Amino acid sequence: MGSSNEEPVGAVREPPFPAALDDRWRSYDWHLIPAVPRSPAINMALDAVLTERVGAGQRPPTLWIWGWNAPCVVLGRFQSVRNEIDEEGARSLGIGFVRRITGGGAMFIQPGGAITYSLIAPESLVAGMSFAESYAFMDAWAVDGLRALGVDASYAPLNDITSSTGKIGGAAQARRGSAVLHHATIACELDTDTMARVLRIGREKLSDKGIASAAKRVSPLRQQTDLPRDTIIERLVAFFANRYGLTPDTLHADEEAEAERRVTEQFGTREWLYLLP
Amino acid sequence: MHGEYKTPGGKLVVVEYAVRGDRLADVEVTGDFFLYPEEALDTITRVLTGLPANLPAAEIAARIHATVGNDVTFLGFSPEAIGIAVTRAMSNERMPYGQ
Repeated sequence: MGSSNEEPVGAVREPPFPAALDDRWRSYDWHLIPAVPRSPAINMALDAVLTERVGAGQRPPTLWIWGWNAPCVVLGRFQSVRNEIDEEGARSLGIGFVRRITGGGAMFIQPGGAITYSLIAPESLVAGMSFAESYAFMDAWAVDGLRALGVDASYAPLNDITSSTGKIGGAAQARRGSAVLHHATIACELDTDTMARVLRIGREKLSDKGIASAAKRVSPLRQQTDLPRDTIIERLVAFFANRYGLTPDTLHADEEAEAERRVTEQFGTREWLYLLP
Repeated sequence: MHGEYKTPGGKLVVVEYAVRGDRLADVEVTGDFFLYPEEALDTITRVLTGLPANLPAAEIAARIHATVGNDVTFLGFSPEAIGIAVTRAMSNERMPYGQ
């Protein structure tokens, strides 16, 4: 056997974390970029641009709340288009797809139904942790924030936020330079009929889940709370601000311009979208 | 050919390929796994390309291990999972479709 690094899925230090680890969050001057509806492709590009800038020390650690201006499928970095998307079904519904920079699974996004955010920080935030541990660590505040809203939520290895009724959301990470990107999407409301017409979810994927369909796997927040999506976002942001501090910021014009350039060069191209056809 | 394996509690890996001259060709490795750095997928695909067909899963895994080195992290899957998906594709091919 060689020496490649495999992380066991089960052997993860899970919350609650020691106070010393939680203090790491407070040692940064976190900046907030609030939600503005943008195209799926520019959101993909912004994730890359902002992570590179934090990695290069050109932007402070950032909590960016995403806005969506169109429904879409977001594929994981390593997923095959034909294996994950019913392209004919998606096209007939006017639903396109994008490919993100992180691994993980396909998501069906509806602008008014999904809550998506990125946490971007120097890697020192997760120093000494395995990749798997850093997922649990960076999800912990969101789980607590959801619980503060009265939602039954918990972290489930490797990258899920879950409840007793099913999966609420999922996270994925990338590293660029000396930055860690941790983004997550939480389902607030989800049209599972439309999702089933757009995504293909095979039997092997559900083989260890003990359930027969993807729709049953997902449990949007709406099953647990009547709070409007915008209120949930406001409360989660306030929860983060209260716990770790948060300085109001905006996306800078040069960051947006760079992201638009990257859509043209990478994220909007056929080559990237069909990287794995 | 198409083989899938889901690591229990982990992620799905799908391997698709053709066999030409008893060797793997046109290899694609896809799935909802995590791999750091991401470019290591190209290395894995290169390792599989040209391998003799019918290698056991453990031997395929050993070759991936030996090539990717210490700086690559498999999260939610493993070289073994890839080896199983490759061999499953081969046995899928031998069985009548749907069985």
